[in-house]
Amino acid sequence: MFKLTLRNLLDRKIRFVLTTSTVVIGVMFVVGVFVLTDSIRTSFDALANDIESGVDLTVRSPLDIGDELDRVAVPQGIAEIAVAVPGVASIDGRVVARNTVISDGVGEPIIPRGPPTLGFSWFPTQFFIIDGHQPETPDQFATDATTASDNDLVVGEVYTVSGPTDQREFTLSGIFNFGDPDENKSIAGTTMAAFELTTAQDFLDKPDSFNELSVAVASGADPVVVQEALAAAVGDDFEVVTQRVKVEETQSDFNAFISIFGNVLLAFALIAVFVSAFIINNTFQIILGQRVRELGLLRALGATGRQVSRSVLGEAAMVGVFSTGVGIFLGLGLARVLRSLLKAGGFSLPDGPIELHARTIIFAVAVGMGVTVLSSIAPARRARGISPMAALSDSVRLTKSGLGRRIKVGTTMVVLGWLLLGLGLFAGLGTKQLLLSVSLGGVLIFIGTTVLSPAFATQISRVIGWPIQRLFGVPGRLARENAARSPRRTSSTAGALMIGLALVSMAGVVGQSIKKTFVDTLDNSVQADYFVRSTGAGFDPTTGFPAQVEQLVSEVDEVDLVVGYHFGLDSISINGSTKNVFTTDFSAGTEHMDPDVVAGSITSGDPLGSILLHEDPAEDLFVCIGDTVVVQFPDGAVVGLEVAAIYTDSAIFDNYVIDNALWNEHFNRPELLFLTASITGFSDDLPEEQQLALLASSAEAIRGVTDEFRTVNVENRVEFRQSQQAQLDSFLITITVFLTLALFIALIGIANTLALSVFERTREIGLLRAVGLTRRQLRRSVRWEAAIVSVFGAILGVGLGLAFGVAAAIAIPDTAVKTVAVPWGSLAIYVVVAAIAGLIAAILPARRAARMNVLEAIASE
Amino acid sequence: MTLLTTHLPASETIAARAIAVDKFYGKGETEVRALNGIDVEFEQGRFTAIMGPSGSGKSTLMHCLAGLDRITNGSIVIGGTDLTSLSERQLTLLRRDRIGFVFQAFNLVPTLSALENITLPMDLAGVDPDQEWLDTVIDTVGLADRLSHRPGELSGGQQQRVAVARALASRPELIFADEPTGNLDSTSGAEMLDFMRRAVREMDQTIVMVTHDPVAASYSDRVVFLADGRIVDDLADPTPDSVLDAMKRLGD
Ligand SMILES: Nc1ncnc2c1ncn2[C@@H]1O[C@H](COP(=O)(O)OP(=O)(O)OP(=O)(O)O)[C@@H](O)[C@H]1O
Ligand SMILES: [Mg+2]
Repeated sequence: MFKLTLRNLLDRKIRFVLTTSTVVIGVMFVVGVFVLTDSIRTSFDALANDIESGVDLTVRSPLDIGDELDRVAVPQGIAEIAVAVPGVASIDGRVVARNTVISDGVGEPIIPRGPPTLGFSWFPTQFFIIDGHQPETPDQFATDATTASDNDLVVGEVYTVSGPTDQREFTLSGIFNFGDPDENKSIAGTTMAAFELTTAQDFLDKPDSFNELSVAVASGADPVVVQEALAAAVGDDFEVVTQRVKVEETQSDFNAFISIFGNVLLAFALIAVFVSAFIINNTFQIILGQRVRELGLLRALGATGRQVSRSVLGEAAMVGVFSTGVGIFLGLGLARVLRSLLKAGGFSLPDGPIELHARTIIFAVAVGMGVTVLSSIAPARRARGISPMAALSDSVRLTKSGLGRRIKVGTTMVVLGWLLLGLGLFAGLGTKQLLLSVSLGGVLIFIGTTVLSPAFATQISRVIGWPIQRLFGVPGRLARENAARSPRRTSSTAGALMIGLALVSMAGVVGQSIKKTFVDTLDNSVQADYFVRSTGAGFDPTTGFPAQVEQLVSEVDEVDLVVGYHFGLDSISINGSTKNVFTTDFSAGTEHMDPDVVAGSITSGDPLGSILLHEDPAEDLFVCIGDTVVVQFPDGAVVGLEVAAIYTDSAIFDNYVIDNALWNEHFNRPELLFLTASITGFSDDLPEEQQLALLASSAEAIRGVTDEFRTVNVENRVEFRQSQQAQLDSFLITITVFLTLALFIALIGIANTLALSVFERTREIGLLRAVGLTRRQLRRSVRWEAAIVSVFGAILGVGLGLAFGVAAAIAIPDTAVKTVAVPWGSLAIYVVVAAIAGLIAAILPARRAARMNVLEAIASE
Repeated sequence: MTLLTTHLPASETIAARAIAVDKFYGKGETEVRALNGIDVEFEQGRFTAIMGPSGSGKSTLMHCLAGLDRITNGSIVIGGTDLTSLSERQLTLLRRDRIGFVFQAFNLVPTLSALENITLPMDLAGVDPDQEWLDTVIDTVGLADRLSHRPGELSGGQQQRVAVARALASRPELIFADEPTGNLDSTSGAEMLDFMRRAVREMDQTIVMVTHDPVAASYSDRVVFLADGRIVDDLADPTPDSVLDAMKRLGD
């Protein structure tokens, strides 16, 4: 029996390749993602060691919440105390800041998409000069080798650098490697600007203070003793940590980043596997159908049902073993390719060995074997039921599971899936449970739909095929009937495509809703005339531009009011849980932004003692106007704030709002996220001409002062709306491109199924050719059959995606999505694209069909 | 059988002609000479049977005459067209427009209804069937009430009748049938043969049929015998007995 199974596989090489290809792709992606993230992690761990080497102990202020850079500065005085502690060889104060943006030779600010723009005080154990010399005077800076070479920065030239509070001209004194003397290890496009210490303190807004003190322990001294002595000397307001702790912190920072990145990739890999599973299952079903007569003969010759079903399972297992092996091998290659792609895309990663961990292999085997064996269980069970008569009868058909049962099972799965999905989206679960229940729900809905869809696949295929038949005559008619003839096959082939398109459509609906919400907010609750923000700043709330700009814009004659805004992600703590915080000028009230205040008033708030709350947290905290909310800041301060106003529109204000004055008191981040300005005498009631004239003159005046700030962008309302929409669009396109991967696999599936179907219909094709179907007509009929199946899958997918998208849009907090909007145009385009993709997928099978020898085809069994 | 013997062909035009045709399969050691210097003509308006032992080259000759296969040497002329000079596409169109087929089994496209199968060659050509002729054919086949059925819903005999109707529907110059009754019981087989004979008599069609069965052959106007790729006998106005006699002679 085993020999027969093996023979079966080897005899039909093409079929074998088709079957294995999808499993190989699934395994390949999983392995590629694991290997890539493991390799990156290993190199980052090594990098963390390199960076922190040479620093024995670090003195800094403790931090419970907020960002690393939110630590309270260590004053000069503490450094002086520390240096006097016995066993301390030397103390180096260090300064670091974000949003230190270098502009290149032509004045373009160098702003990577995502990675930070960091400013440092010169630090000899991390920076290794390769050209020029380290910055020594207040007008010099140095930068890392990658930033320099990518942007053609030349030692000796003068460049503009923008810092947290202002911007200045500096001469590039030198270029350095970060982390390693021989190779620049700055990460993922981060730009670095280093200054001599006192210049850094001044420019990076750390007057007479440091972010932290690096302590070298004297040789011979016991580091533990020194650490204790230092801790006692600097007092309770500061902490002393060892090199080990710093390395681990850096590693865990990197890890957090890698995990997000790896999880996103893994999600895509799993989607790929899921889609592959559909195709594999489909392939096994078809192959079994082709083998019914042969298996019947075996049964007639005395093989038991169990033996027959075991032979089917055995074939699947062999496909699994083979594909897993090939998949692991190709996955290693994929990891390398991905790495080079990331590098080519400006996302530089430290070099290091490719890491293949045991866990990766176990996972790959589980995926590869699991998917194939699971997919073949149903076909194997059906194989057991094949009667010996199958060998004798002419038109052999597998017994079909009854439609009634199919509908029952499918409906149950779909309903269960939606329940799980609803639970995940609306029950307020934790992230892990949410993801689990949502993805399980999604999987159930997909499978359930595929189980159900044969019930209507024939009718729908006929409807889709109707215009094709009209258009192409007999080939069209054949395409239509072939798509309709085996609803199960059509359904499971379409199923793979359905998944991909459902995900893309869902992303489309959510994206469109976000856009709509944004535009509505802009139209209804934003009255400001101008928006000033960082060039290239996406949705990254840590970007910012010099605070000085606010002052300068407010001095422009035409400008009547300027309001600055900050945002802190997870930066305050209320009742023990961390929250985002948004800031504004209370005195401006609702002049520029109206969050729809329902109680109290913004202007009545005391800048240093009040807070504004969205109605939801107000309700959760059980507070109303005049009550006190206790807020903890990153600097450790715990402050009772009186609720001054409660509002309902959180699209811009988020949930918690404090005044800029309070922000500046507790945060080390003077740079602004954005600012708004309004023009004297401007109003929407003015005649349009007058409006335009006012806008033109004021724009010129404002740009007059902001132009010198390379990193700052001034936009009027229309421009602001456009640029924000463009940003959302490019984000959506990125997601869509990733999801296209699933579509790609689905297309392989279509090609695969079609090739098998063509093979199965050899005689029929021979007959058609004999009675005069030309090769062209034959190719055309195969291609349009694929198009019909694709459109069927696309319609299911877009339908499901629409439902998912609307559910997700409703579930997403009002901050991001308030109104649900559907991009009908894009959805229609997806269906058309699916049809075209189907036509393309059919090219090879169609060619194969056309190449068949008519006589051999007629004579074939 | 008296009807048979008294029949005279309406005309003596040649529908198909094979001139010094060789068809070899394989090369060297494994070379098979399936057809070996065949010279034969098939008159228009006649029903010709091809007989011969298994492996004698009957199917091969038919395939070559019908433009389904290429020959090694010689030439084949269908109604004035030399097939050896035609491209693959031209051959396909020739089959579609000028030749009809009936195979032993699996004659119909399972996704199309009986009527659609019948009109398939014309639909492929994009020409409208001659409705009157079509009705005549369908009436003669006796399937008027089964036209909307799919092949799966028809019996084997009915399927073969639909296949003959398809072969006739476009009034081809020539119809080839390879053991068309091979899969049928004797009653359905007789019906089929009778039908084919009427098509030749009453509708002036030309049919070349391959068969093993002397009774089937006796429905025809002429029997050509093949052995080892050569024509070894040619019998006019056959009866089952004369065919059997000829077969016995050849067997010796
Ligand atoms: N594709 C092929 N390759 C090689 N040899 C072939 C091929 N087709 C037929 N032959 C050989 O050519 C010879 C004639 O075959 P053909 O099919 O014409 O015989 P036949 O008279 O139709 O036999 P049967 O009555 O069994 O159908 C046989 O010896 C056969 O083995
Ligand atoms: Mg034969």
